[in-house]
Amino acid sequence: MNIDGERQRESRGPEGSGGAPPEGWEAPRERWLSTVVRPAFGPRSVLLEVAARLLIPAILVLSVFLLVSGHDKPGGGFAGGLVASMAYVLRYVAGGRHELAAGMPTRPERVLALGMLVACGTAVLPLLFGAPLLKTFSYEAALPVFGDVKFASFLVFEIGVFLIVVGLVLSVVSALGARMEAEEEEAKAGRERARRLRRTGGGPR
Amino acid sequence: MNLLIAVPFVVPLLGAAATLLLRRAPRAQQVASAVTLAVVIADSTLLLAATADGTVVASQAGGWAAPLGITLVVDPLAALLLLVSSVVLLIVLLYAIGQDISGLSRAVPQVFHPIYLVLTAGVCLSFLSGDLFNLFVGFEIMLTASYALITQAPTRARVRASMIYTVVGLTSSIFFLTGIALVYALTGTVNLADVAEKLGAAPAGLRMVLALLFLVVFGIKAAIVPMHFWLPDSYPVAITRISAIFAALLTKVAVYAIIRTQTLLFGRDDVSTVMMWIAIATMVIGILGALVQDDINRIMSFALVSHIGFMVFGLALNSVAGIAGVLVYLVHHIVVQATLFLVNGLIRQYVGHTSLRSIRGLTVVSPLLAIFFFLPALSLAGLPPMSGFVAKVALFQAGVQAGGWLIYLGLTAGVLTSLFTLMAIFRVWARAFWGTPLPDMLEARAELRRGPDFVGRRLMAATTGTMVGVGLLVAAAAGPLTDIAFTAARDLLDGRAYIEAVLPEGAP
Repeated sequence: MNIDGERQRESRGPEGSGGAPPEGWEAPRERWLSTVVRPAFGPRSVLLEVAARLLIPAILVLSVFLLVSGHDKPGGGFAGGLVASMAYVLRYVAGGRHELAAGMPTRPERVLALGMLVACGTAVLPLLFGAPLLKTFSYEAALPVFGDVKFASFLVFEIGVFLIVVGLVLSVVSALGARMEAEEEEAKAGRERARRLRRTGGGPR
Repeated sequence: MNLLIAVPFVVPLLGAAATLLLRRAPRAQQVASAVTLAVVIADSTLLLAATADGTVVASQAGGWAAPLGITLVVDPLAALLLLVSSVVLLIVLLYAIGQDISGLSRAVPQVFHPIYLVLTAGVCLSFLSGDLFNLFVGFEIMLTASYALITQAPTRARVRASMIYTVVGLTSSIFFLTGIALVYALTGTVNLADVAEKLGAAPAGLRMVLALLFLVVFGIKAAIVPMHFWLPDSYPVAITRISAIFAALLTKVAVYAIIRTQTLLFGRDDVSTVMMWIAIATMVIGILGALVQDDINRIMSFALVSHIGFMVFGLALNSVAGIAGVLVYLVHHIVVQATLFLVNGLIRQYVGHTSLRSIRGLTVVSPLLAIFFFLPALSLAGLPPMSGFVAKVALFQAGVQAGGWLIYLGLTAGVLTSLFTLMAIFRVWARAFWGTPLPDMLEARAELRRGPDFVGRRLMAATTGTMVGVGLLVAAAAGPLTDIAFTAARDLLDGRAYIEAVLPEGAP
């Protein structure tokens, strides 16, 4: 067994990945992501991990840019939310479900619910002051560094939409991807146990 | 007024977010959803009080005037349907809570409450929206929630049913979107009032095509023959609370959309031949289906299809009396269908299914249940003094006023359908309620009585009883209800009030 095989045994996580083929040459030797557990769907790839590590901050910054610029230019909460959730999807693809769990601030449906509260809240708020639903108020100010800044209350609504989209995509990824992966790991562990039992001659006759 | 109009769909969305956050605390979640629906009921009552004299009020979201912005409109029809739907939604929710407390159902996941509230928001938005695209959005919110609800507590049968349901739903959505695109291409707007103004100038042939397209779109969702095949295959298999709310509301929202589009956009003065034939086919084919079924839920589903025919009949007349009859029928039918499906859920407690093959003597097992079934069933068949009788009389009177051989044919079909409904009901009554109960049913009853889940079962019975009571109330309040229905029907056929409320300065 080569050195990667050795590494893999060391870095086995709480769940383990028993019975999987050894890692190939492309497995990372340094730590690029926050978890080192091997995903059930295949070996880790150094290329993907480095790309994820480098790209994720840039993707998140881009998503915030889209969110803020969406007021009168292409972008907005929906586009920004999709881009931001792509950062998490990339992380999931590179590192599996443990990596996804490590990267999520809270459970995805909480993000979804929070987004819904923010969006609906800002939609309703103008009604309490006698203005129609979804009415936007905007303020302009000259800040020292940024220059003239325009703030529209619509931005808060967009942040709500942003959170809804992120929460939704994360729910989908954790329900369709991560849960299936967990089930597969469980099945694999079960098979491994059965094989060990057969080999040692234990179990019921 | 802006606030009142926004509440019915914003508050359920806020409630959905809150109940999603409260997933770990089932009791708090139940209270939150019940409070949310109670707020919607209170709000709809205020809206109905404000519009009962025929006033139409429009609210322009974001302050953008129609036809640019999102317009929400409340007229007597919308307010009436909002009130009835929210009452039914709350009662079914309480029934569901009772079932959850009793522990009788297979574990229903905690996402039920958020999705149910999203469904509520979709239903309310459909009633309130003043433009075609928001009507589509309302429909989609409602349908997406229903796709998720129909697979709650999944079994093989439920997953299969949900496939049919989802495919049919998506098909109608595609046609809907196509229709909106065509309307936009023709008139350059999607605001209902604006479209109504501009469609008048369109060629008659194009108007006819669009009218038929929208009839097909909403006809699929309303399950009118020949687009009804999916309903008896999908509704009965869902869990009780969900089939009850689907049967009561989803098809009726589609009927509402048919009423709105066919009167406001494609209004006409004469009797619509196509719709009359559809009505006759729906009534007769639906009820013949009900007569050969062996499962109470399926019988009720076919009866549901057939009674949609009555509403299409009234709509085809294009007269104030006809449409007023449709509205009374809508209210009656929403309540009665919900009641019957809830009763079927109570029957399932004793036998675990609703197949007529192995249910006997329910009157002995539970006399109260027999009363709960008997009253709405008679109402469905249209026997006096129930609400079904009032609604059918209103429709038949409108038909006789209009006259003509096709209408008399429709009336004959209506009377025959009522008789066949009675026959279907008495088949259920004779086979399931009379006779000596099967031993395992008595055992099930004894076990239920011993069970520690008494509170939950009480709540289930009490909510079903309340639903029966609401049905009787509809009959008792037939006078005021008919008044509101006539006001709403005059508004609908005239259309001026609606257009003026949305576009006070005329079309741009």
